[in-house]
Amino acid sequence: MAPVVGIVANPVSARDIRRVVANATSLQIADRANILLRVLAALRACGVQDVLMMPENGGIRAHVERGVMRAKSRGEDIYPSLHPVAMPVTGTVADTHRATVEMRRAGVAALVVLGGDGTHRAVAADCGTVPIAGISTGTNNAFPEHREPTITGLATGLAVTGRVPPHIAFAANKRIDVSLINGANGGAVTDLALVDVALVTERYIGARALWRTENFRELYVTFADPEVIGMSAIAGLLEPVGRDESGGLMVRLSADGDGAGEGRRGTTTLHAPIAPGMMARVGVTDWRRMPADVAFVPEVAAGSIALDGERELSFTERDRLSLTLRDGAFRTVNVAAVMRHAGQNRLLTATPVPATAF
Amino acid sequence: MSRKISMKQAINEALDLEMRRDPTVIVMGEDIVGGTGAHGEDDAWGGVLGVTKGLYAKHGNRLMDTPLSESAYIGAAIGAAACGLRPVAELMFLDFMGVCFDQIFNQAAKFRYMFGGKAETPVVIRGMIGAGFRAAAQHSQMLTPLFTHIPGLKVVCPSNAYDAKGLLIQSIRDNDPVIFCEHKNLYGLECEVPAESYAIPFGEANVLRDGDDVTIVSYGLTVHRAMEAATALAKDGTEAEVIDLRTLSPIDWDTIIESVERTGRLVVVDEAHPRCNLATDIAAFVGQNAFGALKAGVQMVTAPHTPVPFAPTLEDLYIPSADSIAVAARRTLAPGGQSPRIAA
Amino acid sequence: MSATMSANPFPLGKDELLQAYRTMRTIREFEERLHVDFAKGDIPGFVHLYAGEEACATGIMMHLNDNDRIASTHRGHGHCIAKGVDVHAMMAEIYGRSTGACRGKGGSMHIADLSKGMMGANGILGAGAPLICGAALAAKVRGDRGVGITFVGDGASNQGTFLESLNLAAVWNLPVVFVVENNGYAESTAMEWAVSCDSYVDRATGFGMPGVTVDGTDFFAVYEAAGEIIRRARDGGGPALLECNMVRFYGHFEGDAQTYRAKGELESIRASRDCLTILSERVIEAGVIGRDELQAVDREVGALIEDAVRAAKAAPLPVAEDLLRDVYVAY
Repeated sequence: MAPVVGIVANPVSARDIRRVVANATSLQIADRANILLRVLAALRACGVQDVLMMPENGGIRAHVERGVMRAKSRGEDIYPSLHPVAMPVTGTVADTHRATVEMRRAGVAALVVLGGDGTHRAVAADCGTVPIAGISTGTNNAFPEHREPTITGLATGLAVTGRVPPHIAFAANKRIDVSLINGANGGAVTDLALVDVALVTERYIGARALWRTENFRELYVTFADPEVIGMSAIAGLLEPVGRDESGGLMVRLSADGDGAGEGRRGTTTLHAPIAPGMMARVGVTDWRRMPADVAFVPEVAAGSIALDGERELSFTERDRLSLTLRDGAFRTVNVAAVMRHAGQNRLLTATPVPATAF
Repeated sequence: MSRKISMKQAINEALDLEMRRDPTVIVMGEDIVGGTGAHGEDDAWGGVLGVTKGLYAKHGNRLMDTPLSESAYIGAAIGAAACGLRPVAELMFLDFMGVCFDQIFNQAAKFRYMFGGKAETPVVIRGMIGAGFRAAAQHSQMLTPLFTHIPGLKVVCPSNAYDAKGLLIQSIRDNDPVIFCEHKNLYGLECEVPAESYAIPFGEANVLRDGDDVTIVSYGLTVHRAMEAATALAKDGTEAEVIDLRTLSPIDWDTIIESVERTGRLVVVDEAHPRCNLATDIAAFVGQNAFGALKAGVQMVTAPHTPVPFAPTLEDLYIPSADSIAVAARRTLAPGGQSPRIAA
Repeated sequence: MSATMSANPFPLGKDELLQAYRTMRTIREFEERLHVDFAKGDIPGFVHLYAGEEACATGIMMHLNDNDRIASTHRGHGHCIAKGVDVHAMMAEIYGRSTGACRGKGGSMHIADLSKGMMGANGILGAGAPLICGAALAAKVRGDRGVGITFVGDGASNQGTFLESLNLAAVWNLPVVFVVENNGYAESTAMEWAVSCDSYVDRATGFGMPGVTVDGTDFFAVYEAAGEIIRRARDGGGPALLECNMVRFYGHFEGDAQTYRAKGELESIRASRDCLTILSERVIEAGVIGRDELQAVDREVGALIEDAVRAAKAAPLPVAEDLLRDVYVAY
C-alpha cells in the first residue's frame, strides 16, 4: 500500500503585530492554498495516493478543495485523495497538536507543515518519529528552510516511497525542552522550542510576538545561523552553530538593553535582524556553548519566556525554570540531500538507475 | 465692482473667496484638480468641465482629488464636516448619487436630529444636473425631488451666475448639509456679478418679471424657458409673473402664494419627471392654501415620465420648452379656466 | 494564587488595570441589564448587545483621548462606554427619555457624543468607515494628531463602503484604524462562508496596508496590538487594520433564539472565552490586583447601572415640540 502523508497548514500564522511594527510578510490564504496544491501535485507524482489534512476554517481547505475539484472537472488526475482528519476546529494552536497526534496514530509516513516557527514547534511537540517536511509561510521562519514548495513535496514523496535510503532522506534535529515548576502549587509546565528560547523581563504575553529588545535578557538557541531572522540571528552573528552540530549556544544580553553600555568592559553591541525588516541594537554581555542534555537555570528571576519568537509562558521569582537542549529530538525530511540523491541516481528519469547501482 | 462672468466662473469664485475667508473649507472630488499622481501638468483638469480650474494653484492641498469611490469620499466629507471642517464635495454628475445616497440621506441628513441637536454637518455636495447636454440617461437627470423629500437636507438650484455665487457662499456657511445643483447647460451663461463676496439667503425666491395675469414658477434651466414664454405671452397682451425659486429646501411659499393671490393663475415648470416633483408639490400647496384665489386649474409643465433620451431630436422634446409653458399659461386664461386632461 | 502582591508584570499600572476592568465590567453589566429589561418589555425598539466583546472596545479605547474619533456600529454600547460616554445618558437614551444622550431621538442604534469623539452608533452597516476617513482627514488638515477608529463586524466588512474606505484611507494616508470585530456571525450567517478571502489580513494587504489578527478575548493582546497600530497612525504612518477574533454572548438582536449556533457552542464560549474572566484571572494570578478589589469594582458598577436604570425610568419623556426640533422643517 502506498504511504500516506499528513499535511498541517496553519491559516493563522503570519498575522501578528510584526506586520505593523516591521514589514513582515502576510502570505495570503489563497497563496497558502496554491502552495499546498503544488505540494500535492508533487506527492502524487511520486506515487502518494492519499493525504490526511488538518481541518481548519481559515479558508485554506476550501481553496484547496476548489482547486482539486476544478482539476477533476477538467479531467486532470494530478492530486492525491484528500482526507480531512475528523476532529473539532477551535481555530487555535490546539488544532495543530490534535491533528499531529491523529495523523501519527493513523500511521502517516511524513508530515508536511505549512507555517512559521510556531506552527512547526507545535507539530514537533507531538510528531514522535514521524519526519517533518517544513514549508515557510509564517513570520519568523528560522526553522523551515526557504524553498519552492514543489521541491519539498517531491523530496517528501521520494523519501516516503522508499526511493531514497532513510539515512539520506531524514535528518536529526535539536530542540530545547523547557521545564517550569510553579513555586506556589508545585504544578509543572513543559514546553519546547525548535530554534530559540528568549527570556524577557516583561511578564505579560499580550500580542505574543517579540520585538522589543530592551527587555531581552537571555537567549538559548539550538542552532545559530547568521542567515536567518530572529533570535537565532543574534547568536549566529556571534558564533555560528550548525543544525547538524551537537549542542547550541546561550547568549546573555546586557540590562542596558540597546547596547548603551558599549565600551564598558565585557559588553558588545550587536546589530541584528530580530524581526523581518527590523534591525536592532542589542547589548551582549557574554555567550557560550550550550551542550546537549545539560539543564540550564536562567539568571532572570521573573519575566516571560518566548519560544521561537512568541511569548508563551510567564514566570515569577517563586517558579523554577530550567532549559535543556536535546540532540536528535525529532526528524525532518532532508530536502537538499534527497534531491541531490535523486539527481545523482536519476530517480526521475523514465528508467531510473536501479537501486542496486549504489 | 461688477463684471460679466459665466456661472462656471461664479462658482469658482465663490469657492475661492470662501477658501480664503475660512481655512476649514476644503474641496474634494473626482478630478477636481486633475492628473493627481500622473506625470503631466498639475491641475490638469480642474473638474471635468473646468469649474474648479485654477483653485489648486491658489489653495494647494486643500483641494483633493479622490479615488472613484463616491461612498467613501462623500462619506469622508460628511465625517469631516461633523468634526469641524466645511468640506465642499463635488459629485461631478448628481446622477452618481445612486452609489452614495446612504451617506447623504441616512448619515448627513440625520445627524443633527438623531443626535438630539448635538451635531452639525456643514457639508456642501455640489454637482451637475439636468438635460440638454446629449449626455443620455445616466448623466442628465433632474433628481431634485429626491433631495427635497429628505428632511435635514437643504437643496439649492441657481439659474444664473449671480445667484450661483451668492447661494454657494451661503451654502458653505450653512451648518446643514446642502445639495447644490448646477445645471450644466447654464455653465456658460454670463451675467453681471460683483467681484466681492456676498451671500444670498436661503428661502428667498427671485421675482424675475412682474405680471398680474399668470404666475409661472420654476427653477434652474427652465427659468429661462419661462422667461421666453413670458415674452411670447406679452405679445398677446398677457403679463406673466416669473418666479425663480433658487432654493427648493427651504422653499419660499410666501412669494408664490402672494403672487397667485394676485394673478389667480399658476403654471409650475419642473424639468423633473411628472410624479411627486416640485410642480406637484407647489400645485398641492397652492391648492390647499390659496384655493379661493385660483381662477383656473393649476398647470404643470414637466419632463415626461421617461429616462432622458440620447438622440438630440428626442432630448429636445424631453425638456419643457418655452412653447409648452406658453401653451400651459394660455390654458389657465381660457374661458372657464379649465383644461382638458393632459397626458403626461 | 498568591496572596502577596508582587512587582507588576503588565504594561499598565494597577490603577489603569482597574480602570480597564471597570470599563469592561460596566459594559457587561449594562448589557446584561438591558437583556433582562428588554425581555420584560421595558425597552422600545431594537437592541444589539456587546456582551462578550468588551476586551476589544476597552483595549483599543484606552489608547485614545477625546480628540480621537470613533465611528461605531449597531452594536455600539460597548464602544460608547469605553469612549467615555455617560452611562446615565446612554441608559436614558435607550429608554427614549429626554435626558438621553440624543434627547431620546436616536435610541440604542444612534447613541453619539461628539464631545467625547464618539461619532455615533450606526444602524447602517459599514457606514462608519467613510465617516471616520473624514474625521481622520479633519485631524490631518488641522494637524492635531488625532486618529480615527472605525469598527465593523465581519458582516459589514463586505460592504462596499468599508472596502472603498480602506482604499481611500491608504491613498490619502489617513490616520485611521479599521477594527474588524469578528464574532463569527453576520447576524446569523457564518463569517467563514460570507468572507471570500477568509482573512482580514489578506484584505488589508490587498489595499496596501498592514493587517493584524489578535485574540479579541485577551485584553492584553488587543491593548498591545492596538497601541502599536494607533501610535503608528498618530505619527503619520498611515492606516492599518486590526482584526479582533471574539465571541458574542447574546444573539444578533435581543429576541434572537440563535438556532444557527452549534449545540453547546454558547456554553463553551462562555466557559472558555469570557474576556472578563480571562483578565481577572490574569491580574489575580500575577498578584497585582486582589479578587476582593475586583469584587469591590463589581459592586460599584452594579450600583451605577442600577442607578442609571432608575434615573432613566424616572426621567421625563420627550414632548410634542421635540418632534420638530433640531431639523430644518420646510413645511
